[in-house]
Amino acid sequence: MSTTIIETGGLTRNYGDICALKPLDLKVPEGEWLSVMGHSGSGKSTLLNLLGGLDRPSNGSLRVGGEDMQGLTEDGLARFRREFVGIIFQQHHLIPYLTAVENVMMAQYFHSVPDEAEARLALERVGLGHRLKNRPSELSGGEQQRVCIARAIINSPKLLLGDEPTGNLDHKSTLMVMELLKELRAEERFTIVMVTHNPEVAAWGDRTIYLDDGILVREERTRS
Amino acid sequence: MLFRILKNSFLKRPKAVFLVFLSITMGAAVATAFLGIAGEVSHKMALELRSYGANILLEPSALEGGGFLREEDLPKIKTVFWKYNITGFTPYLFGVAEFSANGKHERGIVSGTWFNKELVVPGEESTVQGIKVIAPWWDVQGGWPQAADDAVIGAALAKRLGLSVGGQVEATVRGTGQRFRVAGIVTTGGYEEEQVFAPLVTVQSLLRQQGKVSRVLVSALTVPMDAFGRKDPATMSKDEYEKWYCTAYVTSVAKNVEEVMAGSRAKPIWQIASAEGALLKKLNSVMLLLTILALGASATAVSTSLMASMAERSPEIALMKAVGADRFQITAIFVGETLIISLCGGVIGYLLGDQLAELISRTVFNSTIASPLWLFPTAIVSAFVVAVAGSVAPLRRALRIEPVRVLKG
Repeated sequence: MSTTIIETGGLTRNYGDICALKPLDLKVPEGEWLSVMGHSGSGKSTLLNLLGGLDRPSNGSLRVGGEDMQGLTEDGLARFRREFVGIIFQQHHLIPYLTAVENVMMAQYFHSVPDEAEARLALERVGLGHRLKNRPSELSGGEQQRVCIARAIINSPKLLLGDEPTGNLDHKSTLMVMELLKELRAEERFTIVMVTHNPEVAAWGDRTIYLDDGILVREERTRS
Repeated sequence: MLFRILKNSFLKRPKAVFLVFLSITMGAAVATAFLGIAGEVSHKMALELRSYGANILLEPSALEGGGFLREEDLPKIKTVFWKYNITGFTPYLFGVAEFSANGKHERGIVSGTWFNKELVVPGEESTVQGIKVIAPWWDVQGGWPQAADDAVIGAALAKRLGLSVGGQVEATVRGTGQRFRVAGIVTTGGYEEEQVFAPLVTVQSLLRQQGKVSRVLVSALTVPMDAFGRKDPATMSKDEYEKWYCTAYVTSVAKNVEEVMAGSRAKPIWQIASAEGALLKKLNSVMLLLTILALGASATAVSTSLMASMAERSPEIALMKAVGADRFQITAIFVGETLIISLCGGVIGYLLGDQLAELISRTVFNSTIASPLWLFPTAIVSAFVVAVAGSVAPLRRALRIEPVRVLKG
């Protein structure tokens, strides 16, 4: 029986009078690929931000990797993000004035010590060995997303979070990115939580949960 | 990696970086110029102030000396520890005399003194001492005495005796008479207008007090008195006394002079010394205040520039935080940028400030100044202080950035 990496109990997030996430009970076993689906404003990104330590819950409990997220200070959350989590953003969010390899090294720098050889290797793994010295503006959307993936995995996170990682990509690039994530997961054995509104993308996961207006309304196992 | 981030950050935002650099450079330049000329201004002002009169009175001690000082001791004044601070001195020998001229008679004071005496002290550079040196404000109609029987007569006394330049006046003391030619008539607005001033040696002879003087007025460059300077030396420890003695307080210079003049007692002329001290203190305060204001203005400009660029940098900082940068690491990036810009700004500011100080000195005092060694580190520190002070508010804003809000899809 695998251990639980994410466990929430009555997890809630309010923004003023608006309740973005209503009490949510969720368990995610280590190594699972969980897809989170829902309409715009359903609370998917809110959940992802909470799991990644980018936001704090209003109520309820949240344990990620055995860490009580409520009890972490601001610097504690920063440490959690750099040591435990890799995040893939929809808009890639690469530093425009750094090259591909430097963007990956930046995550190493905040984690421990930058290692250019290791950063090159990470980019080679995502198929960008020939684009190391290019700046983000010189890369296609798919290539930028692969740099983002390389940056997310460089510190060997236990949990990989994707916020609509293929939302800005065409079909071909989407397939490439998903294949890449599948391969990396097989090698690294990290847990993936991926927010998407694309059922095809969600189908790559082991399980899909559906949120509507901040409430978990349904879940289904997509693979046996 | 930090270097790469900093380098690229600079190259990416050259205008913002240049504005910050310019603000820091201007602050460092103004601080360098003001602090550089502050010492010079104080020195020049102190010299100017010396023309307002002597600030130390040397008179016979009440206990010894029989009411007179010895003229032969006078050269020793230019051999004391503070000899270079003593800009001038002049002895006086006073006596009451009957003055007669044009059939008129007046009782008054005859003063023997030095007017413009070249003083040669073995082992020291020769100097000129006398009234012309310590009282340059004297308005003398005619000329200064050239011969032993020439005299300068106070304007009020000359008027009562009906004397003009070139006239003759007879001074009689206890039956001994001395005829003087009026070389000049002096107007000071003070007690000098009631006296006759003649060469010291002549008056000594008239008063039968050869080699003696009644008092000496000394003009010395001093530093403003502070609480330590006002302490009674008798109550000081050895170290305190040494420090006091080696600081050019008017009291310590007076003590220094007193030690070489046998049977003397030296007293600061407080109305002069205090006024000078207060003026120099105010001058230094003004210079310091101007420096602080200039640095404050620079820090404000730095802060404004950094704040303006913060909107542009928010996504970058939010991303750094999202991938795990903590407050210390974000601060390190800011401090790194600040250090590099302030170091460059400090060096350039120092060079500019040095030239500015030179220009001000030439324009105002018609002289050049030597840049003190401590000015360079001071300029660098000033630049750093400006940069740090200007970075505080932008850094606080940077640390408050919430990735979840800024990176929101």
